[in-house]
Amino acid sequence: MGAGALVYALALAGCDSTNNNDSPPNQVVRYGAISAKVRGLDPMDIGDTTSSGVASNFYECLFQYHYLKRPYVLEPALAADMPTYSEDRLTVTIPIRKDVYFHDDPCFPGGQGRQLVAEDFIYAWKRIAYLKNVSKNWWIFEKRIVGLDEFRETTKGIAKSDMDYRQKIAGLEAIDRFTVQIKLKKNVPDIEFRLTHLPLAPVPREAVEHYGDEFMNHPVGTGPFMLDSWTRGSKLVMVRNPKFREEKYPNEGEDGDEQAGLLVDAGKTLPLIDRAEYRVILEDQPYWLTFMNGETDAAGIPKDAFDSAINSDRELTPSMLTKGINLIKHPEPTTFWVGFNMQDPVAGTNLPLRQAMSLAFDRKKFIDLFTNGRGLPARGPLPPTVAAYTPDLSSPYTTFNLALATKKLAEARALHRKNHGGDLPVLKLIIGGTDATAVQMGQFNQRCFEAIGLQVKIDNLDWPSMQDKVKTKSAQMYSMGWIMDWPDPENMLLLWYGPNESPGPNNFNYRNEKFDELYDKITVMPASPQRTAMFRQMEQIVVDDLPCIFTTHRVSYYLKYNWYKNYKPHVYGYGLMKYLNIDKNERWRKVGH
Amino acid sequence: MWIYVVRRLLYTIPIVLGVLLITFLLFKLIPGDISAELAGKAASPETIAEIRAELDWDKPLLLNFQAARQRGPMAVFESQFFIHFKKSLTFNFGRSIRSKENIATMLRTRAGPSLSLTLPMFVIAMVSSLTVALLVAMLRGTMWDYSIVLICVLGMSVPYLAFILFGQYYFAYKLQWFPIIGYEPGLGVWRYVALPVLIGALAGLGADVRFYRTVMLDEMNADYVRTAYAKGVAMPRVLFVHVLKNAMIPVLTRVVLAIPFLFLGSLLLERFFGIPGLGDMTIQAINSRDFPIVSAMTFIISILFALGNLTTDVCYAIVDPRISLS
Repeated sequence: MGAGALVYALALAGCDSTNNNDSPPNQVVRYGAISAKVRGLDPMDIGDTTSSGVASNFYECLFQYHYLKRPYVLEPALAADMPTYSEDRLTVTIPIRKDVYFHDDPCFPGGQGRQLVAEDFIYAWKRIAYLKNVSKNWWIFEKRIVGLDEFRETTKGIAKSDMDYRQKIAGLEAIDRFTVQIKLKKNVPDIEFRLTHLPLAPVPREAVEHYGDEFMNHPVGTGPFMLDSWTRGSKLVMVRNPKFREEKYPNEGEDGDEQAGLLVDAGKTLPLIDRAEYRVILEDQPYWLTFMNGETDAAGIPKDAFDSAINSDRELTPSMLTKGINLIKHPEPTTFWVGFNMQDPVAGTNLPLRQAMSLAFDRKKFIDLFTNGRGLPARGPLPPTVAAYTPDLSSPYTTFNLALATKKLAEARALHRKNHGGDLPVLKLIIGGTDATAVQMGQFNQRCFEAIGLQVKIDNLDWPSMQDKVKTKSAQMYSMGWIMDWPDPENMLLLWYGPNESPGPNNFNYRNEKFDELYDKITVMPASPQRTAMFRQMEQIVVDDLPCIFTTHRVSYYLKYNWYKNYKPHVYGYGLMKYLNIDKNERWRKVGH
Repeated sequence: MWIYVVRRLLYTIPIVLGVLLITFLLFKLIPGDISAELAGKAASPETIAEIRAELDWDKPLLLNFQAARQRGPMAVFESQFFIHFKKSLTFNFGRSIRSKENIATMLRTRAGPSLSLTLPMFVIAMVSSLTVALLVAMLRGTMWDYSIVLICVLGMSVPYLAFILFGQYYFAYKLQWFPIIGYEPGLGVWRYVALPVLIGALAGLGADVRFYRTVMLDEMNADYVRTAYAKGVAMPRVLFVHVLKNAMIPVLTRVVLAIPFLFLGSLLLERFFGIPGLGDMTIQAINSRDFPIVSAMTFIISILFALGNLTTDVCYAIVDPRISLS
């Protein structure tokens, strides 16, 4: 052991009771940091990526994403096979694996986890529908399952103690102990993606009844890990589930995976690690320092540490390379924009104005300034992570062009004079957040529009106040974005669908008959080249009408130490820790724990 | 004195009720409706309306005249305020709107970590600042006095955040004398709170020393001090018995009134050092409009503050025989 490593080892021994400097640890342990608080671990209530990331190690769904294959494909998880459909595709039948057991927990007789059955899915889904539970995830099912909306209606005013989950629902049935059947009101082409979404994971009735409202703190799932301890806001420890169903590390992936060492563990039983310890670290400095100390295996790069980690070629600096750190870059399924309220009499009726503002927005500079270059300029709604992404959408108005912007603004002024009389008023743009970065973002927007002679007043509001303005249609312009839940473009395009206007998810209050007609079609059409062509048409309609200024798609820069194995970025899948591995000897040699 | 104490305790009731009402109105009247957020990212308008109804947010704010007309006069109290009022008075704080955690449990589990940080910080800061202030007052007009006052002013000019960033980087990361971040309940807690306690105590020292120095100097110029010296009383006895005792009124005011706020924790230290306390919880609740948490914290702090005030008055009477409570 070198002197440096010895110092590390001694220091860490003083810092953490889990360290052992005499020999490598017996267990394979993953050390991580969570940069936001875990709100709760009841799948029904999970609506944030941090809680999903943790809870998906305890709970599983019918299907999961293949870990290595791209484009993203689904495979059975708790399902024994992929679903079968009736001829009209309105009845979906899914067989369930028979070798799955819930975690051992005091809620079961003798503390022994019982076998998973089809009824557990039905029960979990009814919990989402039950009004009193105020689930964030009702939107996944709403108006899609026969009888479920009616069931929700009957639960109005029913106290939790009086709620009877045995009520039959025509569209949700366990046709035998190990088969779930779903009857749809209309064709739902992304039903498999929906059933892969964590909130739809099965939960045992025994645990919900045993823990009551505290079930959120006592996850009892079927996943590869079980909760060992959790100090809210501080630390969460999970341990391997000894009764985890038989699952092996994939034997195949995409080109380059073998060379990248991602198939070394092919065929091995999952999970590959024994234990994972996560600390909640909310501030950038301690988050970064713990990573640089080797106390965590991997980390994102805080804005202020970017220049010390990444050089001008967007690669690792020599000091990071000598520490044995690797950089992994990948686009995220996100799109950000400055939205217009299309019901606003000024912005909503003046296309040249919206075109001028879109042309005046310097996307590249914005990405450099606020994300250290970690982004791609957005030209349309769909991010590069979906197969239907079109990088060359035909629009001259979604690029930075000040000359054209000035010309368009003149047209906009003329149109405004014609329609309303007088010059364009000062426009109002709401930026979510009151911290320094949010204020700077507002100033950046202001400067971009001032460059063509357009006055924009910036209002920095906290998130709830901004939501209030947007949802009550009283915002003229606002800055927002969307993270896709699954790779089906419908999950993004729903934001421009007319009937979804505020307080629904269409915050632009945009309405285009042709777009709505196409949307109605894609929501019931099975995947096909025709459907993909329709996505392109819909994107084109949106970029032609410009209800928003598309700004960026985020790109993630992720750092990991050499000892952290099998990491492959996956932008939709959660619960991927079962595939990860740690070279405990290498870590012990380098940092002594 | 007991009559005075009972009377002051009775005064506490309308104060706390007033605080409840003002907090409620402030929170409800500022813009910001989180029902759309609670309903989920792609929720329909109907779902949002259902959620509002489930949380009683569709009821009138203060009085429900419509319900009174339909169901009798008592139904006038079926309003958002009286539902909240009833819960608070029975110490049923309910659950966080955001995380659905039981607020009583949150308070119970987070008060310990907050106090494990703020209590030693408070004691260390108070003892050291009083001691330094006495010494500086004793050495007034010397180079020592000027130097310490200058250091205090410089310390006061440095932002609190700078102390934290430097302390964590240098003492925890570079020198590795302390863990960078973490918390462990029980006896192991000292390893994690030692650095934040020292940083917090040091950062507040400048203002405290200057305040106490002024108080001590006022007393040291008093006649009784000259008399004591004239009678041959030794300097330490003059300082620590005569001066300190007579300077206790402003000291008590500052110290006792600070005690209720120890319960609030320390936002920055808790966030930077990963201490799961009440400070960070309260600020996050305010930012995310988690009204039940904010209301519970305001309610408890207002009670503690009222009790703190009363304790201060009682202490005045104990320390200074010229003050009588009636």
